[in-house]
Amino acid sequence: MAENMKNENLALDIQNLTIHYEVDGDIVEAVNDVSLQLENGKTLGLVGETGAGKTSTALAILKMIPDPPGIIKSGSITVCGHDVMKASKKELHAIRGKDVSMIFQDPMTSLNPVLTVGEQIAESVQLHEKGMSKSAALDRAMEMLETVGIPRERAFDYPHQFSGGMKQRVVIAIALACNPKLLLADEPTTALDVTIQAQVLDLMRKLREEYKMSMVMITHDLGIVAEVCDEVAVMYAGRIVERGTLREVFKNTKHPYTEGLFNSLPNPRDRKAELIPIPGLMPDPANLPQGCAFAPRCPYATEACTKAQPQPRKFSDTHTVLCTAYDDAGFHIRRNHNG
Amino acid sequence: MADIKNKKIKRRSQWDEIWRRLRKNTGAMIGMAIVFVMVAVACSVDLIYDYDTEIIAQDIPNRYLEPCAEYWFGTDALGRDVFKRVVYGAKYSLLIGFMATVVSTAIALVLGSAAGYFGGKVDNLIMRFCDIWGAVPGLMLGMIIVSLLGPSIWNLIIAMGLGGISGKSRTVRAAVLTVRNSEYVESARSIGMPEWKIILKYILPNCMSPIIVAVTLGVAADIISASSLSFLGLGVQAPAPEWGAMLTSARENLRYYPYLAIFPGLAIMVTVLALNMFGDGLRDAMDPKLRR
Repeated sequence: MAENMKNENLALDIQNLTIHYEVDGDIVEAVNDVSLQLENGKTLGLVGETGAGKTSTALAILKMIPDPPGIIKSGSITVCGHDVMKASKKELHAIRGKDVSMIFQDPMTSLNPVLTVGEQIAESVQLHEKGMSKSAALDRAMEMLETVGIPRERAFDYPHQFSGGMKQRVVIAIALACNPKLLLADEPTTALDVTIQAQVLDLMRKLREEYKMSMVMITHDLGIVAEVCDEVAVMYAGRIVERGTLREVFKNTKHPYTEGLFNSLPNPRDRKAELIPIPGLMPDPANLPQGCAFAPRCPYATEACTKAQPQPRKFSDTHTVLCTAYDDAGFHIRRNHNG
Repeated sequence: MADIKNKKIKRRSQWDEIWRRLRKNTGAMIGMAIVFVMVAVACSVDLIYDYDTEIIAQDIPNRYLEPCAEYWFGTDALGRDVFKRVVYGAKYSLLIGFMATVVSTAIALVLGSAAGYFGGKVDNLIMRFCDIWGAVPGLMLGMIIVSLLGPSIWNLIIAMGLGGISGKSRTVRAAVLTVRNSEYVESARSIGMPEWKIILKYILPNCMSPIIVAVTLGVAADIISASSLSFLGLGVQAPAPEWGAMLTSARENLRYYPYLAIFPGLAIMVTVLALNMFGDGLRDAMDPKLRR
């Protein structure tokens, strides 16, 4: 009963998701046994380096993993009450854009060059509001453009007449046109320069509050996470290695990989301090080590780490860490709690 | 509000951009002008000349006249005005060239986009078929089909059209492949757009540039092939004034009356050159890499 109550408040519920890509006989384990929950109205930061499985996880939420070569091996995904894994094609078309929308990384290429931006936003509206007239949809598109800070007259312009930041605003307008309950943002600011990044982030934060959306923010920029997110999940080699509230993960870091990420950031309070990068590279996802995937690069790794997969360990109701070292009660990472 | 919609401020589509760039290319504009004149002539020859009395009627006393004020291109072995016949021949060459390209493009659009969009086994099957089909020399394929069906304009069109399938399918498939994996197709899918709509509104319109270029250059190639087949006696039959067929009859007396071969030959050359210049210009105008 209590479980059911809890579920109703979840915008997103991923259980034990495993995704493999099978290419020429090689099996690439992109996502391994990932479980994630996100409450309505909350923003989750999904952090990790390139190839950690962030985008695969997001695409799976829309059931858009390219197949072949991608295969969802196991797991269940529930979005706003819909079981995505069991949804028919028609149901999926209704969920995509209406309940869940996605913003892609590169605004330069995510707009159709042969349609005006107005037509593209209107199209998204018309797909989900059956029976809406073309001109009503266009009116709505113009409203959306104003919401994201673009004059409505520009609805008749083509994508190549916009700058990168403007295009990302248009992409956001398309994604939000149908009032989705969950927004997946896949590195929405990576392709933009820093000043525009700040504007777009501000806009997204404002709109999230206005539309009361939940959001999954995929990024490798911890600064963005600190600015926008309520909760953080750190991914490494297809697993979530640390998961907690923003405060827990940032102030009370537990996993050696998360520590490594923070250590590789410049510290504005001590500009002379040397950066400590994480040695080595992420393991080949087609050939993951038997034990903890981070063990080969981990300064704390012991014999036990390389033998078996670490089990999740709870530090609080919200804070979970995937690390074997904490089996030793005296273990702690070196990072001082100085932010 | 309504004002804004009607004014369409600064509305400048991709096509306007392409047209702007094309206009700067003198060669392409000359080519386009020649092509338009040719098409206009080809469409109106039946209004200008009477086929039975002016094009194929014999006038033996006036045979083998050199080019002069009355007969600009001279007269042939049967005393027919070569100028009129060359002008009339535009109808055959352009009709065959355009229709054959329409046939091959229509088939190639279906095959190429199926191969490109669905990939996997479908792709493999279609492309291997195209490989085999393309391995047969075009002229021989034409000869086989015409021998089986008998020489006529429409059989020639079918032969040329079938011959052009494999090359154009490959062009269409390549274009579909690049567009299929683009982010705007992915993002269209992410807002719940059905597949047929994605193909019609997102993929095919964005494939148009390479296809249009292939079509323009394809017409030129088909005109040459059609003339070759007619020259070999497999295409349009005498007494119809097809350029290739005219070359054949001029061949016997090439040494004494070279102008009988020169003018139809020039007509083929100018037409093909104009189409190629136009096609190349189009390619440059549509290639995003050349954009400034």
